[in-house]
Amino acid sequence: MNKRMIFTLAGTAALASVIGISRPTTVEARIKLATLPDKEAVVVRFDHPNQVLVEEERTISLQKGVNTVDFSWAGTNIDKGSIVFRPVDVNSKVEILSTSYPPGEAALTWSISSPDARSEKFRLSYLMANIQRETDYRAIVSNDEKTLTFRHYFKIRNWSGGTFDSADFITRDGKTFEKGLDQGEAKRVLVNKWDKVNLNKEYVYDLTRQYEGKVMTDYVLKNTKEMGLGAIPLEYGKVRIYQDDGKGTTAFTGEDWGQFTAVGDDMRLNIGIAQDIKVEFKKMVNDVENRRGNVYDTNEVDEYEIKNFKDSEVELTLVLRVQGEWEMQKDSEGYTSFERVDNETIKFKVKAPAKGAPVKLKFHYKRLNNW
Amino acid sequence: MKRNYQLPITNDQFRSAPRRPSQLVIGNWLLVICCSLLFPATLNAKEELVTLPQRDSVQLTIYNSEDLTLVRERRTLSFKQGNNRLQFSWANTLIDPTSVEFHPVGKDAQDALEVLDASYPAESHEMLIWTVACTKPAGYSVEISYFTSGISWSAEYTGIVDAAEGSMDLTAYVTVHNNSGEEYENAQVRLVVGVIHMVERIIDLAQPRQQGAPRPMPPAELEELERMAEDGINEDPGTGMAKPKEIQKAGLSEYYIYTVEGQETIPNRWSKRLRSFVVQDVPLKTVYRLEPDKFGPSFTKVLEFKNDEEHKLGKEPLPDGLIRLYKDAGQGRLGYMGTLASKYIPKNEEVKINVGPDAECTLKEKRLSLRKKDLVLDQWNRLVGWTTVEDFELEVRNFRGRDVEVEIHRSMQGKFEFDSEDAWEKHDADTQKIHFTLKAGESRKLTFKVTTKNGENAR
Repeated sequence: MNKRMIFTLAGTAALASVIGISRPTTVEARIKLATLPDKEAVVVRFDHPNQVLVEEERTISLQKGVNTVDFSWAGTNIDKGSIVFRPVDVNSKVEILSTSYPPGEAALTWSISSPDARSEKFRLSYLMANIQRETDYRAIVSNDEKTLTFRHYFKIRNWSGGTFDSADFITRDGKTFEKGLDQGEAKRVLVNKWDKVNLNKEYVYDLTRQYEGKVMTDYVLKNTKEMGLGAIPLEYGKVRIYQDDGKGTTAFTGEDWGQFTAVGDDMRLNIGIAQDIKVEFKKMVNDVENRRGNVYDTNEVDEYEIKNFKDSEVELTLVLRVQGEWEMQKDSEGYTSFERVDNETIKFKVKAPAKGAPVKLKFHYKRLNNW
Repeated sequence: MKRNYQLPITNDQFRSAPRRPSQLVIGNWLLVICCSLLFPATLNAKEELVTLPQRDSVQLTIYNSEDLTLVRERRTLSFKQGNNRLQFSWANTLIDPTSVEFHPVGKDAQDALEVLDASYPAESHEMLIWTVACTKPAGYSVEISYFTSGISWSAEYTGIVDAAEGSMDLTAYVTVHNNSGEEYENAQVRLVVGVIHMVERIIDLAQPRQQGAPRPMPPAELEELERMAEDGINEDPGTGMAKPKEIQKAGLSEYYIYTVEGQETIPNRWSKRLRSFVVQDVPLKTVYRLEPDKFGPSFTKVLEFKNDEEHKLGKEPLPDGLIRLYKDAGQGRLGYMGTLASKYIPKNEEVKINVGPDAECTLKEKRLSLRKKDLVLDQWNRLVGWTTVEDFELEVRNFRGRDVEVEIHRSMQGKFEFDSEDAWEKHDADTQKIHFTLKAGESRKLTFKVTTKNGENAR
């Protein structure tokens, strides 16, 4: 006996079936839907960085013998080749015999063999395009700027052509939330919240980030458990930062794009310019020496005068870069520590006293073997 | 000998008549037997009809490397004593006229029948007439074979990887696509894996050609291949419920032939996907690789297995096709991992599927230092030779809860020396590689020094 059922996804994620005795012949002869089987579970997974996998469970009434089941998805963006159709029961005796694809239609037909008349639950998995995702964060920084509350939001917008009456949406890090989502609709959901995350506030002078030489204010979050995070890699997304004003409300203090941050890495967020800290650069020495034909060394002294007009001392990080082969000279001074990050990059920490008292960083280096 | 003498009927009338499954009309081509005793001479007279025998069987042999399918069909025709004229026409299909052949089937038919000639009427590109001499009037089984364009097949694979990424269930499919203009009912389907040599495209031969142009012979190697490939088809056991059809695989010279059990009906413009095989628990290895030549500039997760017996495969090569990987997300649910457009995978060949960068295993490289030495000046005091010494650091971090394998390829340019205390080995002239296991939650720093001679120093 050949039993024919038709499921459609025409403009909706809901499935419909029809019972009839037929066989696939021509497009014109194909029968369209009738009754709806119960929809039992829809899951939308975002664990792949670029693709969205949708899974649905449907109970289909099968008769003994070979049953024909149609599935069509006109108007939706399903990747036909990605469709996986399986009985939920891994020990099911039901077999999928073949899959046929009619011409010019967003549809297919399964030929399903059943040993007896039964209701069988199937799971249908497929990739669906045009379900957009976006991550964003909201940080509430304590009044003393030592800790923050970090909220992680997941936003989805549905341009797939399908409608989800109720579905479990699963984020890349495994968080699940149940929502309905219409075509064209967007939803933003809080998926993670971390309280009392330790925060490092840094003042940074870095011409590659701020070419005018202004000092930036950064918040640095270390994505580790010790610092209150570290449970998941932090996805790329906009971070809006508010600060507790000490009066029971908050003030918006800036926003930045949070880069993807693996567990163990730092997320550095620039919240704005620290206008009370000024850095003035002077080239004090710039000599050529040790000439050998067209090869020469240079002897250079860079001076950075730092003034902190705040009422308290601050530590300033100066990120400086020198290209090629170079060596720092021992008479460099004015820093509390330095780190040669890589060949081209050196990072100085400088204590800047309060109320505008100037402090100088002397960076003496030789660039060798230039031509 | 049964003869159905009917009123004269033209090809146009045939085409406009409603189709019935019992007719010899298949799609848009038709076979007409004309009796030479009654209509011995002109083409205009030959459309006198005749019998409309059922097609006994049809076999499609589909090649995936070329737009080529060999169709062989059998019919039982009634022949009279003397010369019989058979007209064969195939309007609106993609049949190669140069490939159409007629063969009697069985000793009796071969003893009684002989094809005297085949003529191609000037007024029709889509028709030929055989003159068949019959020494013993009877009904005989004959085979008509031809090449057609427009039918193709492709392979696809679905792998479901277990949560630990230690194994996967691999299902292979073959999908037949019929855009030939013809519907083949209850056809035996055979699929050829391999790259055959063709001197002309079938689609070109199927188009009308200039009168007088030479007609190339069908490639002899294909004919030979077909003759050699005769093999039995598994019968449906006929008990219990229907099972997915077996697809038998057999090697043949440089090719493999997949034979689909039983018969298939593939309407024109439809595609049909059948399961080729299922293998449970194929052992799988996860290796994080930095190999820019093969996997691009990123440090990526690569799932690997081998098409051999150790991996429960290796019975046949795996034809080129998409491999889609899903991971077991628990409770029978799936998560999407990635897709590889795989090339043909011979037996015993490794398969490496790049599923992209993984945030849980990262690699960072930085140049710690640069020095220049051994500067050479020429007689005019110009620099003509120098040597650079660079120190690098690679840090690999594994945030996963399991050990992972890592393989890193690092290429250099010019005349260089590579020095490291880590166990790097030479991969090729410009590339060093290192392979190691990184324990769960650990990180490892690799350092190496590259000394590169330039200019005169490199001579």
